Amino acid sequence: MTTGGARARILARVRAANRTRAVLPHPGPLPPAVEPPVGPAGPPEAFGDRFRAAGGEVVRLRSREEARSWLETFAAGFGSVSLCEGIPARLRPPLPELPPEEAELGVSMAVGAAAQTGSLLLTSREGRRSQLLPPAHLVWVHARDISATLTEALAGERGELPATLALHSGPSKSADIGQIMVTGVHGPGRIVAAVLGEEAAPRRDVTRPGNGPRGDGGG
Amino acid sequence: MELPSLDYRARSRRSLKETPAVRESVTAATRSFDDRRRAAFAGLDTDGLREWAEAVKSHALTGLHDHLELAEARLEERGVRVHWAETAEDVHAVVAAVAEEEGVRSAVKAKTMLSEEVELNPFLERIGIEVLETDLGEYIIQLLDEPPSHIVGPAIHRGIEEMRALFHDRFGTPPDATPEELAARARSVLRDAFLSADLGISGGNFLVAETGSVALIENEGNIRMSTSLPRVHIALVGIEKVLPHWSDLAAFLQLTAKSATGQPVGTFVSVIQGPGGSVADEPDGPEVVHVVLVDNGRTRLLADPEAWEALRCVRCGACLNICPVYRQTGGHAYGHVYPGPLGGIVTPGLIGLGRASPIPFASSLCGACGDVCPVRIPIPALLHTWRGRAVDAALTSRTTRAAMTAWGYAGTRPRLFAGAQRVIGLLPRGLVRRLPLLREWDLGREVPRPAERTFREIWKGGIE
Repeated sequence: MTTGGARARILARVRAANRTRAVLPHPGPLPPAVEPPVGPAGPPEAFGDRFRAAGGEVVRLRSREEARSWLETFAAGFGSVSLCEGIPARLRPPLPELPPEEAELGVSMAVGAAAQTGSLLLTSREGRRSQLLPPAHLVWVHARDISATLTEALAGERGELPATLALHSGPSKSADIGQIMVTGVHGPGRIVAAVLGEEAAPRRDVTRPGNGPRGDGGG
Repeated sequence: MELPSLDYRARSRRSLKETPAVRESVTAATRSFDDRRRAAFAGLDTDGLREWAEAVKSHALTGLHDHLELAEARLEERGVRVHWAETAEDVHAVVAAVAEEEGVRSAVKAKTMLSEEVELNPFLERIGIEVLETDLGEYIIQLLDEPPSHIVGPAIHRGIEEMRALFHDRFGTPPDATPEELAARARSVLRDAFLSADLGISGGNFLVAETGSVALIENEGNIRMSTSLPRVHIALVGIEKVLPHWSDLAAFLQLTAKSATGQPVGTFVSVIQGPGGSVADEPDGPEVVHVVLVDNGRTRLLADPEAWEALRCVRCGACLNICPVYRQTGGHAYGHVYPGPLGGIVTPGLIGLGRASPIPFASSLCGACGDVCPVRIPIPALLHTWRGRAVDAALTSRTTRAAMTAWGYAGTRPRLFAGAQRVIGLLPRGLVRRLPLLREWDLGREVPRPAERTFREIWKGGIE
């Protein structure tokens, strides 16, 4: 559609512009000191704090039984649901299913999360409409999948990237009208992160050499 | 055809005189952005982060051709159709051809400054495609038929009362509607558009070369929708938006959000590798994705031995928010899509100093913009560079040139200087205010009363 000419000319100009410049070196990974470590309580707690600060809701469900009974109560607040693909039967709210354009609640399963920024990582492989169109969004996330930093969380997805990898870090919001914050402008105005199970066994934090122990007592 | 020079002086004067409320709205909004930026960086090694980000961008720009070729190859591997556009007209041609091929009748747009730069909306309307802006602020200024006033908050120059009146006129909302009611009305109009549009148009905050990913930052969800719901997606990406590695992305997402609005990261981030739907064996998403790599003056800027550093810009708007000059008028006075200190260093490179020469002068050179820039662009020094070039090319006004020549002449002749000082000191104030140069200066200020003794006299008498 575009002629090859434009490509060749742009690249030639880029080369010519840089001809007298050495390629400056890449500085390597971000130095640890610029991303503050998460609190002593660990990534799931830190994720919850951050996500709530951005206007999201968080519930921690350590056992299957806890998850089941919470889901029952939570679902009672809605009349219909739209499920992303691959949500396990036990995590589906007992509600009539409607298309995402009409459902009151969308449900998805995060592939990861970042504590420091309070971000859920969602993949387009489960479908996007249920993530975006209903006014409320329930996102399941396993505690063991919550990384401390966004750098770590994204590193975990590097292998097989979906068509779109998305971060959802709170309810849809805008301050474009008179600088007053309004939620639910286009995307879901209510987002609930339901954190399942226990976090992964503590491991040495390889991305922060020399950063010392996190001081969480349990190590 | 040579377009007329941007008339910053007349526009800014008119703005201050005719729409004083703009100054109030813009100042309040930018101060709030800036307060939140400060809070977001509190306790962080901000200098370490800025130095790192500068180095990544400098690496990306000095090896740009390799990164662009890699990005193109990766995007094509995922089924993205990549185009190269040298000019605004090239961008129009690509969009028109895609629209024709795909039978596009209507489009939804996510906020993209590059589309403003190439004036895409008027073009789409000319070829009969209905286009709706979907960012709430952009939608409001589209209704008002105005350009954005700020690159992050396009409608910050408009107060809530004006928006109430606009929505009352257009949609019959109550004259005293709450911001929630106004947003809900916009949501319902635009929801229909999202579900029926054939084409979604976005920009791109970053282009990760190694993975061929276009990353987009937002708060409303309209970018996710524009790039997920219509069957066809076109992303316009400036060639300078490259990040070499996937591992660079997380930090740049945070740095940009913190600098722009003080958030840890944008509420929504889309990292797009290619088409979804049946092409990727996914349940939904666009079947066709085009990425347009746009030059439109960027290679000229890259070739500039000094001003090339401006290409590190991540468009966070922190330099606008802190600029005491930008705060007086907002963006419209600058007459081009990139206002404020950012405009001062980018616009002359993009459209030529001939047209943009007044913009680098729209600054007090206080230096605050340089201090807040997350990629450490030496903005004040570059403003100086462009000013020097404007003077060398005789692009400044004749009065300014004459006054500066006279000042230079007197400044190198001590006796003449002292004499002139004495004479001006004795003249009545009313007359001084009418002298060339001083007259200009007096428009925005009070001419001060001269000191009883000049500094030079005090100096001669000896200082303790």
